[in-house]
Amino acid sequence: MNCDFCYNNEATIHLIKIQGASVERINICKECAKDFSFFSEEDFYNDLARILYKFFNISTNDYHTGRDKKILRSISYGRNRKCPFCGIDLKTIKKIGRVGCSSCYSEFKDVLFPIIKSIQGSLENKGKIPVNTSRKIKLEKNIRDLRHRLKNEVIIENFEEAARTRDKIKKLEKNRYDR
Amino acid sequence: MTGKNFYLLENKTSKNKSGSNKNKIILNTRVRLARNLTDYKFTSICSNQEKNILLKKIKRYVEEIKELRDFRFYSVKSMGKIQKDLLFKDYLITPGMANKMQGKGLFVKYGQDRVESSAIMINQEDHLRIQSVRPGLNISEAYEEVIEIEKYFEKKLSFAFDRNLGYLTASPINLGTALRVSVIAHLPVLAVSTRIADFVKKLNQVGCLINGYFMGNSEVIGNLFKISNLVTLGKGEEDIVEEMKAICLNIIDDEEDARKKLKESDLLGIKDNIYRSFGLLKYAKILSYEESLELLSIIRLGLDLDIISGVNDFDYFELINKISDSHIILDLEISSSVTDDELDSIRADLIRKKILKGSE
Repeated sequence: MNCDFCYNNEATIHLIKIQGASVERINICKECAKDFSFFSEEDFYNDLARILYKFFNISTNDYHTGRDKKILRSISYGRNRKCPFCGIDLKTIKKIGRVGCSSCYSEFKDVLFPIIKSIQGSLENKGKIPVNTSRKIKLEKNIRDLRHRLKNEVIIENFEEAARTRDKIKKLEKNRYDR
Repeated sequence: MTGKNFYLLENKTSKNKSGSNKNKIILNTRVRLARNLTDYKFTSICSNQEKNILLKKIKRYVEEIKELRDFRFYSVKSMGKIQKDLLFKDYLITPGMANKMQGKGLFVKYGQDRVESSAIMINQEDHLRIQSVRPGLNISEAYEEVIEIEKYFEKKLSFAFDRNLGYLTASPINLGTALRVSVIAHLPVLAVSTRIADFVKKLNQVGCLINGYFMGNSEVIGNLFKISNLVTLGKGEEDIVEEMKAICLNIIDDEEDARKKLKESDLLGIKDNIYRSFGLLKYAKILSYEESLELLSIIRLGLDLDIISGVNDFDYFELINKISDSHIILDLEISSSVTDDELDSIRADLIRKKILKGSE
């Protein structure tokens, strides 16, 4: 049986996902499976469980949209692109499982972001920010945190608190545009 | 993932009855933060010269901060094999570090008996890693310490940061908060029960990675598992800490449940198992490290379940860290040309002295 992604190689990993009445089959070859992970080859088999878990998450959401195939293609076409700051190319990044510098993330955004999304499940930092960050980023983070809080307050129907949070957001947003 | 998360995070804290036993199931906590400096290449592709410049820079900063003067500096380059092995066991260096030692250094502050440590690691996978290791289940305390140490650096150094990706790390696995919380759990009953598959699945669902702490040929040795958070981006630091705490309490409950059930269903079997291990420990003349771990794990279980006598209460994690080859060689100042059999025989004596009543 051929791989569902590259149609070329023999599929060696067969996954069957049963959810309620729906049965979904995924056949994938070793090479393509590797592209779903961000691990060097030797790490790959150690982390198989984790990769499969991630893989299932991807497959259920995006399998039919063809997004995965696009990711795979962009990885294979762009292997020789280099980061202008540190000089590392995509091929090396994939081989060692590490980027070369902080600029790599913006330079290879198109390739790395989908991978990061599949590893982390999110592309939105909700953690703390360095003290010496610009005021603008701090303000944005504040607003984002408040929006998150607002959403939760609405879910638990704490409307009084939600109204207060909404006003805070409005005030901060006004601040942002004034600057 | 949020929907699934609540599965494990339902309020078990109040239900948990394991206050006194919790540190006998969760043996060790480690929290670490990763940071990189702006305007420097990451260490994966740095030249040795660049690494040395960075090492000097960070070293100078640390030495200037008076709150950090209890930390002692070690240059990895000048260490012997045994010393490196010890650091590796204390989580202070990664195995890959053994080969490429140029430009790497670390500041360490040990607490009592080496079970507690704080460390600042320079030029490993990331420019800077700040780590705190505590005995038992102590996530908040360890987290507060790493954040405290980070503050000193934050004032003087500029960290690579992106508003979407958070703190930028060499590997995308650590992006965001770059915070990794890991605990070591002793799960002698869950590990052999039929529920282990479900247990692992449950942990994966809530975003945890579980691995054997010591691995033999694909087998976990000594029933020790390392459990850590998988996701570092898209959650706040406090969320990660609170989630991991809740997950640990659930792990404790699961193990205790399994122990209770086993005791009810097969008391004779478990007693037999424990006393067989006891017999081996008491009379064996040669004990490999792996075998010792297995036997001590079962004896520890016997103590926890209150079904063994003639044995001193001992700290499993502390003891296994004293009986590794490297620890024996270093602590007893034995020449490193000692044969394996000699080491195994010293180990057998050492364990007997520690755990048999009346032989200290």
